[in-house]
Amino acid sequence: MGSHVLHLLLYSAIVAAFFGALLRRRATDQWKLGASIWIAMVGGTLALAYLMYPFPR
Amino acid sequence: MNVAAEASRPPGSVGPSPTGLTILALLCGWLVPGLGHILLRRVRRGLFFSALVLGSFALGVTHEGRVALRDERQAPFLSAMQVVANAGVGLADLAARHHVYGAVTYALPNDPGAPSYEAWLGILRDRTRSVASIYGTAYLWTAGLMNLLLLFDIWDIGRGRKQ
Repeated sequence: MGSHVLHLLLYSAIVAAFFGALLRRRATDQWKLGASIWIAMVGGTLALAYLMYPFPR
Repeated sequence: MNVAAEASRPPGSVGPSPTGLTILALLCGWLVPGLGHILLRRVRRGLFFSALVLGSFALGVTHEGRVALRDERQAPFLSAMQVVANAGVGLADLAARHHVYGAVTYALPNDPGAPSYEAWLGILRDRTRSVASIYGTAYLWTAGLMNLLLLFDIWDIGRGRKQ
């Protein structure tokens, strides 16, 4: 699997699921926290990539 | 363990001293991700975390992640921290080291003239050169660090601070 984006989505999903399950007790809260973490990781990375786009090396 | 007493305890309060079962669960949880929770009767939680940690570990191995070796000559502290992140996953790390280096080793030999020094360094460099290695390393170290964090969860469950 060589796609950067797929790795970003998958890695974020693993980390989000882990912390969602670890830090919250109720299933709904686990989903909410997991989704927030996933969105923050993926969104943050894409935002950073977008900001860096005008400045290649 | 008295379940009713545990349930009535206010959140955040300190429970009884760790029992032998908690210590055993900590050890088993480190060696086999998820097993500590299962021993404390959190079977679903244990299986879920086991799947996450071992899944991440498997992705790391298949993507040629860096199975770190402590290097006394270059950045000994940093390389030792990398070894800790790898070793966090327990027995699976032993298997990975045997698979990658042909031996269960955690450090490069101090003597650069030793035959295993060049061999292991070569293997480490070859894996690092792989395009996917940076992803593999992230998965591997994340698996180890997640499992180490789970030990705190096991501790809290064993102490009665968490259900």
